[in-house]
Amino acid sequence: MSATSNTQQAPDRFLELRNIQKWFGGVHALRGIDLTLDLGQAYHLLGENGCGKSTVIKIMSGAIAPSVGEIILEGETHSAMTPIQSLSAGIETVYQDLSLLPNLTVAENVALNEQLVSGNGRLSRLFDRRRLKETAEKALATVGLPNNAAFINTIVSDLPLAARQLVAIARAIATHAKLVIMDEPTTSLTRREVDNLIRVVERLRQENVAVLFVTHKLDECYRIGGNAVIFRDGQCVAQGPIENYTKTQIAELMTGRAIDSARYRTAKPMDGNLFSVKGLTAAGVERMDFSLRKGEILGITGLADSGRNELAMAITGVAPARAGTITLDGRQVTIRRPADAIDHGIGYVPEDRLAEGLFLDKSILENEIALILTRLSNNFGVIDKQAGRETAARLSEEMRLNTKNLDLPVGALSGGNQQRVLIGRWLSIEPKLLVLHGPTVGVDVGSKDTIYRAIQALAERGIGLIIVSDDLPELLQNADRILVMNGGKVVAEFDAEHATEDQLYQAMLISKLETAQ
Amino acid sequence: MNTSRLEELQQGQAERQAFSLGELVRRRPETITAALLVAICVIVAIANPAFLQPSTLVDIGRASVVMGLFALGVLVILAAGGIDVSFTAIAAFTMYSLTVLVQNHLPGLPIAVILLIATVGGALLGVINGLLVHHLKVPSLIVTIGTQYLFRGFLLSFIGTVWIMSLPPQMGAFGRLPLLQFESANGATITLPFYFLVLPIAAFVTWWILNRTLMGRAIFAMGGNANIASRLGYDLKKLHIFIFGYAGALAGLAGIIHVCANRQANPFDLVGTEINVIAAVVLGGAKITGGTGTVLGTILGVLLIVVINSVLVLVGIPSTWQRLVVGVFILLAAAFFVTRQRKK
Repeated sequence: MSATSNTQQAPDRFLELRNIQKWFGGVHALRGIDLTLDLGQAYHLLGENGCGKSTVIKIMSGAIAPSVGEIILEGETHSAMTPIQSLSAGIETVYQDLSLLPNLTVAENVALNEQLVSGNGRLSRLFDRRRLKETAEKALATVGLPNNAAFINTIVSDLPLAARQLVAIARAIATHAKLVIMDEPTTSLTRREVDNLIRVVERLRQENVAVLFVTHKLDECYRIGGNAVIFRDGQCVAQGPIENYTKTQIAELMTGRAIDSARYRTAKPMDGNLFSVKGLTAAGVERMDFSLRKGEILGITGLADSGRNELAMAITGVAPARAGTITLDGRQVTIRRPADAIDHGIGYVPEDRLAEGLFLDKSILENEIALILTRLSNNFGVIDKQAGRETAARLSEEMRLNTKNLDLPVGALSGGNQQRVLIGRWLSIEPKLLVLHGPTVGVDVGSKDTIYRAIQALAERGIGLIIVSDDLPELLQNADRILVMNGGKVVAEFDAEHATEDQLYQAMLISKLETAQ
Repeated sequence: MNTSRLEELQQGQAERQAFSLGELVRRRPETITAALLVAICVIVAIANPAFLQPSTLVDIGRASVVMGLFALGVLVILAAGGIDVSFTAIAAFTMYSLTVLVQNHLPGLPIAVILLIATVGGALLGVINGLLVHHLKVPSLIVTIGTQYLFRGFLLSFIGTVWIMSLPPQMGAFGRLPLLQFESANGATITLPFYFLVLPIAAFVTWWILNRTLMGRAIFAMGGNANIASRLGYDLKKLHIFIFGYAGALAGLAGIIHVCANRQANPFDLVGTEINVIAAVVLGGAKITGGTGTVLGTILGVLLIVVINSVLVLVGIPSTWQRLVVGVFILLAAAFFVTRQRKK
């Protein structure tokens, strides 16, 4: 087999997967994937959550072995690879969770692996500190991070999320990689940083490196260009130059059904003021005023440092406000802790649902009823399991979870379903106001659709919603009004039905220039 | 890159470069340990100037050796995200079996060979720990509780329970061999024993491994997050074998030094002191959750505990208070480290 492949092999062929299949227990996650990757090319692996994208990546990076099939790496056939084999061959992966070691310095995270891999994983060797520093400095400069001594000696857990993402990318390009796999590399990057990343990718391609993206952001795929590889249910359903497909076609291929990209918001807000803040001041937020009607959906956007995240945390008591008044349903309320917000019926779905929102190893049932345990328990603190199960079943139904098994651990669900579990949990307290922070970060097109429908249904019940997001189409499709923040203040307000993505982006950037002057 | 964020990062660095006590403590928690140590020494010296006599310092040095060796092993395991409570049992097992072996079968064995056998024997027992932790995929606390009972049970059931009062001569001689000897003001001879040297050597080797070899960096990588480390190509099996083997080797060495120093071999000794040792390492700034810790901090932690244990008597505080003081210090230091973490 490998002899034939050698003779037929194109000069720039790097990696070939042949009939790769993978079973997890009884689940047939990959149903025979054939894929070839050539040096100097860009590939976009597209598909819904749970379609097998991550499994394929793990097979390429040596984290798991396929059940059936062959991996042909530079003409050599393998039935499986170890992480060191894969790394030594020049396959570098930027994982979605970044896979940084939080207790080590930036330099060590970026450049230690180069030494490990060049020694084939052997540990009984001296570690070359000067080489570490040089490699790290070079890679950091490439991705646009500072590379002075203070920065490279910073412990990674002290860095903001966006900088960590760039550090993870720097690690991937610090070695002489031949294939760089990036699993959702841009989720926490601003546009400027994405632009820079795209330049890095172009440079890598010129240096004859293959780049494989996994992303849900189609606009970025079109900007980068290259080949689309579309997965559905563990199979590759389409492959070819990305410019040959429209967004709608890609979405249909991914989901197997037609997706409506029109505005989700059809209803109008109800009469009566629900929520208002006056002079709200917190770290990064300066004397904000705004109000919200019943059943209204308010979008808030801005660059990462605009104060939008801090605003969400101030309203929900995660990082309480220092000054200002918050009025809910005509009554002034004090919110010092998340528990206060819950008592008043204000729910918060954080951006990082894995770290801040969900108990991943607990069941759907336990996650859904986490907020109402007191209500479900009797005077002795014993929980009424039957009532809990009924509530959880109702919430899952309402959020259209794709499983009926409430005992499944939440960690086993796809990102879209996890998000639905989290929103469902808040419904259990009959909230008046829900603050959703990046509700579809890392969620595929199909799940986005379900989440958006759920959001609209909540608004129609009279719940006020604040969506804090940098996904501009998401706000335009779902909100009534959109506030653009900068420097802790609202700098522009738009009617979402008539605004455009360009207008919003302009407002974010122009106000930036003005504050700079 | 967003300009403002870049500036922010650089600004942040400028602040970090400026001297800040809080930042120093956060990055080097052993500063607190050193401060506690100095504070307690100053207080004791004021209350009782006898503390500053060379004889007290020599006593502290001598008392630190066994605990220091144990602590260096615990440091390496904690840094890698594990924990070990079996090292005292390993030490007891090697010291007693080896003493019995030398006394009954190999009376002429040179002391250097005895030390070597103790180290290798301890390492082998440690490797058993490492293999069990790796293959059973059970938390190392559980595994080493199991092996502690196992090693100790085996020792007491099959090797013996008799207290050996007269050691083979070469072992006794090693315990008495002086490194420094001088006369104090009152005419008594004060001896800093030769075996004291083992501690600074072991500390240096441990420092060197942790900071200058890829193994050392890999240990911290595993302590940061074992799953990620494995994904990045670090061989967790090798790491488990190394860290437990290394801690076992230090424990074996500590055991035999304990015998030589006390000039008797009691199979019931040592086991039960492991919490004391772990406390010293944690007081030295290593996080119980892994991924951090320094050799300097560990040695300071050991000194702190030894000083508390040996000098409180000098200022007239009953020895029953030692635990009380150690407990308060551990809580104080822990609270301090944690608040520093949160403030950032």
